[in-house]
Amino acid sequence: MLGFIIRRLLLAVPTVFVVTAVLFFSVTTLLGSPATMMLGENATPEAVADLNARQGFDRPVHVQYVAWLAHALKGDFGRSFATQQPVASALLPAIPVTLELAFWSILIAGTLAVVLSSVPTKRWAIEPAIISLNILGVTVPNFMLGITLIFLFAVTLGWLPSTGWLPWSDGAVSHMKHLIMPVATLSAYYFGAFSMVFRAEQRDVYRKLYIQVARSKGLSEWKVAFKHALPNAVLPVVTFMGLAMGQLTGGAVVTETVFSMPGVGRLFVASIAAHDFPVMLAIAMMVVVAVVVMNVLVDFIYTLINPQIRLE
Amino acid sequence: MMKNWRFLAGASIVVAVMAVAAVAPILAPYEPNKSSVFMLETPSATHWLGTDELGRDILSRLIYGARTSLVIGIGAAGVALLIGAPIGLAGGYFRGRIDLLIVPVIDLFVAMPALILALIITVMVGPSHKNLILVLGFVMWPTMARLVRGQALVIREATYIEAAVAAGGTSAWIIRRHVWPNIMRLVAAQIAIAVSLATITAASLSFLGLGIPPPTADWGGMVRSGFDYLALNPAMSLAPGAATTITVLGFYLGGSAVE
Repeated sequence: MLGFIIRRLLLAVPTVFVVTAVLFFSVTTLLGSPATMMLGENATPEAVADLNARQGFDRPVHVQYVAWLAHALKGDFGRSFATQQPVASALLPAIPVTLELAFWSILIAGTLAVVLSSVPTKRWAIEPAIISLNILGVTVPNFMLGITLIFLFAVTLGWLPSTGWLPWSDGAVSHMKHLIMPVATLSAYYFGAFSMVFRAEQRDVYRKLYIQVARSKGLSEWKVAFKHALPNAVLPVVTFMGLAMGQLTGGAVVTETVFSMPGVGRLFVASIAAHDFPVMLAIAMMVVVAVVVMNVLVDFIYTLINPQIRLE
Repeated sequence: MMKNWRFLAGASIVVAVMAVAAVAPILAPYEPNKSSVFMLETPSATHWLGTDELGRDILSRLIYGARTSLVIGIGAAGVALLIGAPIGLAGGYFRGRIDLLIVPVIDLFVAMPALILALIITVMVGPSHKNLILVLGFVMWPTMARLVRGQALVIREATYIEAAVAAGGTSAWIIRRHVWPNIMRLVAAQIAIAVSLATITAASLSFLGLGIPPPTADWGGMVRSGFDYLALNPAMSLAPGAATTITVLGFYLGGSAVE
């Protein structure tokens, strides 16, 4: 088991190298000289050459990449072109904001998706209503939902703060108040996606013999749904929850922008707009690593949930 | 029953949006890019949805925005098909070494967050209609390739393929005559879903300030500029947001009705 995980993680290493190398080469070739970016368009050629020499921008790209990688592996992602501050000092405070937003959104979306889809409601009008909600979840763009919520609950009703973020130290209540709308916005999409995955699996499970047995024992539809069908159909949802968590380390780009949350996503958008290559690359590398690690972790969680699966 | 209803609803929405885009010059009461001194007006009889920060009529821009949205959405889905289908067919039909090369690439791309990938590539190549179509198509091809590959894997085991091979058919002929026609229905559905995804992603890029450059009427960009005036005139951002949602919903319903 442990051997499997280590092997998978080792296999992932080349992936990370290839992706960051491709990014590094394309960005340095396509984005132009970072020296002009830092000194402005009117910089003298001497100043540009001097900065290039000092920062090593005049070296061949592959030499720069190896140097960057050597530092990155030690946790040093260089300095931001825009602020001249170390990348880590901008990135580190943003990570918990994004992780908390992602954690609540995925947890709530996953729980709601599994529970609501499990309710045995074939006779009532509830099922079409839930399916419609799922479809809306995956089709309403995040910015639309976020702005609509701000308009309703902040601008019109004044119940919730429209944007911003407060740390836990400012009190749990105001911290949570700032999180309600972003979490609602982000979880809507995942609620739709998780529900669809769950229902597809559920359909197969309901055809299984043990469901017939449970029914013929005289169990209520509720017991059949929650004690027999749910545990057997939940596996793919767990996979998707894990993968979503990996992807969201890059930040919920749109949601964080709508609600002005100081997370990784907003930092990423800002770095893109400013052509701030070191910050961009650090976040991109973080996403690649997180996605790859979550893929391995999900396989591992599989074995915990379903002992029939053996990893070799 | 439910599926049929879904398809009809989706198709009607798509046809309606296409009709609006086609007759935009007739429908729009004003020139979409003509600014005026009547800036940030709230909805009235002369400007049904009000005017924006440059005094342009929001309704007219909303109507013309349908063109931008459809061109990019459909264009990107087309690019995804052109890249993804041949690769998926090659991997699924020939298997072997080609497949071993293709699968990890597809897996890696599918696992990456599409919007982040699109943001990185867009900032490198610069946002324009053509580039956005290419970038979004490039981000979405693996999903298409995966679907085609999966289907090709199943179909190549069918007896009629065996018969075609026995009859001496070349691979190219078998793929064209027997494999592709059997996949086409699912591919068509996947194209509709790809259009809905491209529409959301393109609008999100514009909303983040990296989409279609001004002054072209574009829903994501309109949402972004209207967001600052949400209390003054909510229609300024909610109307283009709703238009995006309806278009996405239309393509999604149409595509997801086929299984």
